[in-house]
Amino acid sequence: MRRRDGVTVAVFVGIFVLLAVALAPFAWNVLTSFKEKGEYFTYPPVFVPSSFDLEHYVRGLHLGGAKGIKDSFIIASLTTLLAIALGSLAAYSLSRFRIGGDNFAFWILSVRMMPPIASVLPLFLFFRFLRWLDTYQALIFTYALVNIPFAVWMMKGFFDELPVELEEAALIDGCGRLGAFVRVALPLVAPGLVATALFCFMFSWNEFLFALILGRSRVVPITVNIAGLIGGHEILWAEISAVSIVASVPIIVLAILLQRYLVRGLTLGAVKG
Amino acid sequence: MGGLRKRDWWMAFLFVLPVVVILLAISIFPMVYSFYLSLCRWDIGMGGQRTFIGAGNYLRLFSDARFFNSLKNTGRVLLFGVGTQFALGLSLALLLNRSFRGRSLVVTLFLLPMMISPVVVGCIWKIIYHYQYGPLNYLLNLLGIRSVNWLGSGSISPYSIVLADIWEWTPFMVITLLAGLQAIPDDLYEAARVDGANRWQIFSGVVFPLLRPVVIIAILIRVMDAFKIFDLVVLLTMGGPGQASESVAFYNYLTGFKYFSMGYASAMSYVQLAVIVAIANVFLRSFKGRAVV
Repeated sequence: MRRRDGVTVAVFVGIFVLLAVALAPFAWNVLTSFKEKGEYFTYPPVFVPSSFDLEHYVRGLHLGGAKGIKDSFIIASLTTLLAIALGSLAAYSLSRFRIGGDNFAFWILSVRMMPPIASVLPLFLFFRFLRWLDTYQALIFTYALVNIPFAVWMMKGFFDELPVELEEAALIDGCGRLGAFVRVALPLVAPGLVATALFCFMFSWNEFLFALILGRSRVVPITVNIAGLIGGHEILWAEISAVSIVASVPIIVLAILLQRYLVRGLTLGAVKG
Repeated sequence: MGGLRKRDWWMAFLFVLPVVVILLAISIFPMVYSFYLSLCRWDIGMGGQRTFIGAGNYLRLFSDARFFNSLKNTGRVLLFGVGTQFALGLSLALLLNRSFRGRSLVVTLFLLPMMISPVVVGCIWKIIYHYQYGPLNYLLNLLGIRSVNWLGSGSISPYSIVLADIWEWTPFMVITLLAGLQAIPDDLYEAARVDGANRWQIFSGVVFPLLRPVVIIAILIRVMDAFKIFDLVVLLTMGGPGQASESVAFYNYLTGFKYFSMGYASAMSYVQLAVIVAIANVFLRSFKGRAVV
């Protein structure tokens, strides 16, 4: 068994080294968020900052970080609600009645794959015409373009896995079609519904291109706020790091909650995981 | 569930109606409009009039060296970025495809770079790549290597973007391929081992053929995403120095929203749409095969 032990040790050393490489940039970001200006503009670099107070976090939140988080939260929650509500209805229809057939389902999915730069240009002109630029609703509907197809497709997968016999039993018991959907099918796919919602929230929270073009001064999602800080005259690295960490924490929590469904969500349901 | 009764049909129809209406309003109509725009000259910055010029914008693309440069940079992300992500991701997935204590924590930690916003990834790497004060050059100096101008040199900055992209997206390959590996039943390994196959033979003869559908899906998804690369370019280099590291999506953004040439920008976005449609078709076809775990 000696050779096997050697292989096992090598495997764990390999995993450990790669893990260190994967996490080091995060560690540097966290350290930077506590550094004073003299500590990040210096050579050789200072590794451990002199103090660990939250001064830069407070200042970063004042420099638009708090507003960015509020805007991102409003936009991401509302677009998620919209996508989930409409998406699960359509998904049920596709799954149980096969309405429109396979091609219709694939058309919906294909909307999800459009390059954002291709759709943002006509949307920009469209929202300019409606005087919707720099409003929440412009971004909420734009993200629906990505989230609705995603929600339809994910929820269709979850409904497909549900045995129809349960709903048939409900129908025989005198429940209407709508009742079978609301009282039987929907509660049973609740975990899938939550997972899909969290994914939609995550996509919208992290998105940058649409936010950059359709927001401006009244609506500045967190990603645009961070990019703006980087483009500023004087680059406040500690504040930028601090805001980027605050923006990432909710997403990391969601990712951990979603672990079971992660592969499925990220491959649009193609790999069930 | 048998044939559709008339009442059911109405319900099924009403259920999909809102989705169809919204998707038509925010995808199909705008796309039709922008196709029309792609056949026009329309520079809204100058207050210019919209004039129909037919295929003029598309012809202009073919002689636009800056467009070809941006294509080259995007191609570099596809080739080196996605290629490395696949090689690294597969190795790591094979390493992680065993049970040990704390495994799910380790897998979660590996996934973090992909979960956070690309904008945050850009911030993190912008600090790391800093020529004078960044930790990366410091480490190189310790090893006796001269500082590299990661973001300020035209021959290097496109690769710096690729490197950050590799860091961000290798986790996607890891988790997807790992899911594929775990779907392979243990007794297949056993049977191969009983037949006297060595590690490499098991991998090439048993594991890889079974993994292939997942590999295809994972690569297609990454290729589609990498083709759209935008955020890292904005955050790290702004396409610079000069135009050295512009991606197609970034050049398209500048054309539309800095130079306000709406017609030319629409034509450019239609070319990208055509490429994505082609890749997406392959993706959907492998989907229809239902060969995937």
